[in-house]
Order: sequence, then C-alpha cells, then structure tokens
Amino acid sequence: MKALIKKEFSLCLHPTAFVFLAFAALVFVPNYPYEVIFFFSGLSVFFIVMTARENGDVAFTCTLPVKKSTVPLARILVAAVFQCALLALTAICIVIKEATFPEAMRVNLAGNSANLAFCGFGALLLGAFNLTFFPLHYREPKKVGVPFVISSAVQFLLIAILVAVRHLQFYTPIALPDPTYFGIKLAVLLGGLGLYCAMTVLAGFLSMKRFERVDV
Amino acid sequence: MTLRALEVENLKKVYPNFTLDSVSFAVEEGKIAGLIGRNGAGKSTTLKSIMRLISSEGTVKVFGKDFSEDEGAVKELIGYVGGGFRFYPNKTLSAVAKAVARFYPHWDERVFQCYCKDFALVLSKKVRELSDGMKIKFSLALALSHGAKLLLLDEPTSGLDPLSREDFCDTLLTLKKQGVTVLFSTHITSDLMRVADQILYLSDGAILLDEPLETLAKRYRLQLFATLSEAGAAGAIGVKEGKDGFAGLITEPSEGREATLDEIMIHLEWERGRQNESAH
Repeated sequence: MKALIKKEFSLCLHPTAFVFLAFAALVFVPNYPYEVIFFFSGLSVFFIVMTARENGDVAFTCTLPVKKSTVPLARILVAAVFQCALLALTAICIVIKEATFPEAMRVNLAGNSANLAFCGFGALLLGAFNLTFFPLHYREPKKVGVPFVISSAVQFLLIAILVAVRHLQFYTPIALPDPTYFGIKLAVLLGGLGLYCAMTVLAGFLSMKRFERVDV
Repeated sequence: MTLRALEVENLKKVYPNFTLDSVSFAVEEGKIAGLIGRNGAGKSTTLKSIMRLISSEGTVKVFGKDFSEDEGAVKELIGYVGGGFRFYPNKTLSAVAKAVARFYPHWDERVFQCYCKDFALVLSKKVRELSDGMKIKFSLALALSHGAKLLLLDEPTSGLDPLSREDFCDTLLTLKKQGVTVLFSTHITSDLMRVADQILYLSDGAILLDEPLETLAKRYRLQLFATLSEAGAAGAIGVKEGKDGFAGLITEPSEGREATLDEIMIHLEWERGRQNESAH
C-alpha cells in the first residue's frame, strides 16, 4: 500500500490538489457561502482521477504486484489525505479569523459562520462526495464526468439545505461565530467527522468490491 | 519432474460477440511458449485474464501458487508487457521506473540500467518522446529488471525493427538459460521459430493446438496439387487455391516441404472455416 500511495503522489497527482487547499482561506471573505470550499476539494479529486484516466493509470497499476481491489483504496486514501488537510487548514483559518476579526465581521449573513460546527458540516460534505463519487467511478473507471456531476449535485443539495436552515430559529446557535454554544458546535463537529469516516470507509468498501469485476 | 511455471484451467470470458471458451494449458518452467492466432482469436484476452486485468472464470496457477489466493505475491513473479508503454506520456522514464521499482523487493537497478543502455533508452526523456518501438523496449526493461520468473508478453515484437527483434529473441534465449519461463503472443511467427519450445494456437477463443514446436513442425507438410480432387484424395487439410495450383497441409510423409507456422495457421483456419460453413 505504501508503494501504491507513493505512486499516486509521483505519477497521478494534479497540481490543483494543492492549489485548492489554499481555498480554505475563503473563510476570511465576509458574507460568503463557505461550504463551496468543500466543493473545490471534490473538483481536485476529479482532476486527479481525470489525469489518472488519461495516463492509463488504472490498467498499468493492475499489472503491478498489488491486489486489484487495493487500487481504488490507494486513491481514496490519497483523496482523504487532501480532504483532512483541507479540514485542518480550514480550522486553522477559522481560529485565526476568530482571533483577529471583530465579532460583527465574523457573522456570516450568506450562510453558516465559519465556526467549529462549520468544520463538521464540511466533513459531512466531503464524506457525501466520497460516498457518491468513488463507487460510481470504480464501477466503470473510464467514466469520470458522470460520477462527478452526480456527486457535485449531492454536495450542492446538501449545501443548499445547510444555507437555507441557517435562517431557521432553532438553527441560530450553530450559525453564530464561536465560542457561543460551544458544546452544541463540538457535537456537530464530532458528528460530522464520524459521518465522514463512516462514509469514506463505505466508499472504499464499495469501490473495491465493484472494481474487482471491472475489465481494465 | 519438471515444474509447471504456468497452469491455466478452464479460463472463460464471455463478451457479447466473443467467448474465450474454457482455455486450458500449461507451460513448463524454463520453456518459451508462443501464443498464436488470427486477430480477435483471444490472445490478448487470454493474457489479460491470466493477469486478472479482466474478470474471468477459471483458475491460474503460477509456480503452483493460485493467482486468486495470493495475487500480489504471484504478480511479483511475473513480468507483464501488454504491447508498448502507453502510460504517463508526460512523465520521464526515470520517474516511472522509480515508481515501479518500489513495488518489487527484487528490483535490480543495475540490471535496469544495463537494459536501458542496451536498448538505448534515455531516462531523462518523457514517455511521449519515445517511438512505438522504444516504448516496447522500455516496457521490456521494466519487466526484466525485477527478477521475474515468468514473462507474459503481448505482441512484444510488433513495433520493433528486425535488428531489435533479433536482440529481443537473443534476450529471451539468455533468460531461458537462467530458468525464466516465457509466454508471448505474436503474429511474427519467424520469431517463434527461433525461440519457442511450445506453440499454443488459439482460434475463435479456443485452443486448437498445444504442442511442442518440434512436433508441430514435423507433423505438417505443405504440398502443392494440380487439382482440387487430387488434394482431396491425398487427404490435404485446408486446401487453398494459389497461383501454382492448390496447396494444403499433409500429415502423412509426403513430397511436400515442411510447413511454416504461418502456413499451418492459414491452412488450419481455412479448414476450420470450411467445416463451419458446411455445418451451417
């Protein structure tokens, strides 16, 4: 698995994977739907998978001494590394914002404020992307566009729901900047991270199973 | 007792318009086997099925190890070349080789450098800068540098010039002396005449012949006949009309000359086609 992951980094990675990590800084933009940061993460996965397809990577990797089923797993792990890095960078940016911006500027009128709970929602969006994109792609690895459109549609649906509920009364504590209602936000963060892990593991399991039957 | 390097049993793959039909054969350790057959006969499908690149039924054992039970370990024993190297066009040869080397505990950088030198491969070049022949040479260099005990080669000589093909055949014979087993598909039967010990002849997804080259070459003779009825009376196989009369394969001692692999293939296919036609 170590060799597979190193191969992913040396032969398959697309530069946008690093560029889109910088989009974590969008949390500094006032009144902005910050959830789109996590859409860009999906876009970087799309570019990686597209690059791999154009390079004939899947067929080549299957000739190497690895179990065929581990081929999707390596790519999902690499995607997870970038997703975790994005979550960590977003959290760092939020901490900096909270330490430097006045409270009035930290309230987001366009959606959720950048706070602890927002990172939980981000994890949920990334997990939803993984669960839709990877199993669909590894059912037929030549197809990248359709799985991306479907997974992005799921992400935007979730983003729309998260932005819409921000205006509901019961939701207000979660939408406010930290440190108010810290306990609730922490629970949302942990819930989001838990769901991310569960959905990513399930995505890996389904992708491996489907890829076994694929003719490369 | 000779060890079987490769055992294939009941390999089956069904496509809408083609079926690889219960292909079974074995290749003994240290032997070179040639896989021949017309386009679409199932040569690449067979090799891909052996490598589990395509999902198919049947069992494959490499040096007694079941492929499906220990896929990673079995693949370590195999050097696979599926035609030219058509992967990672924008990467340099050294970057690809470095990534590949990590997968093989027995990767020998010295051997790889030797092959690169022999094949005139410049490692700082990008894959897309290589000609088709050089791409095949790069594939071969990768496949030969990790101590593979079994080489599976899908038309490895198709893009090579005659001198490179000669070098390739010499390399195979050297590897054979080292105990390496080779199964390779090709349309260039003269290469097989030079190096092969065994011929596997695939036709319409089924093994039509599986014999030592020597036996095969001795069995079939090509004879010319003035008329079709004369050929029929002699029991000729796959009789075809040519500019000098009718030619067919004869299995009995006759005046005809020893048939080449090309001629055996052509006349057996012709006979098969004729039989299929009359059956319908």
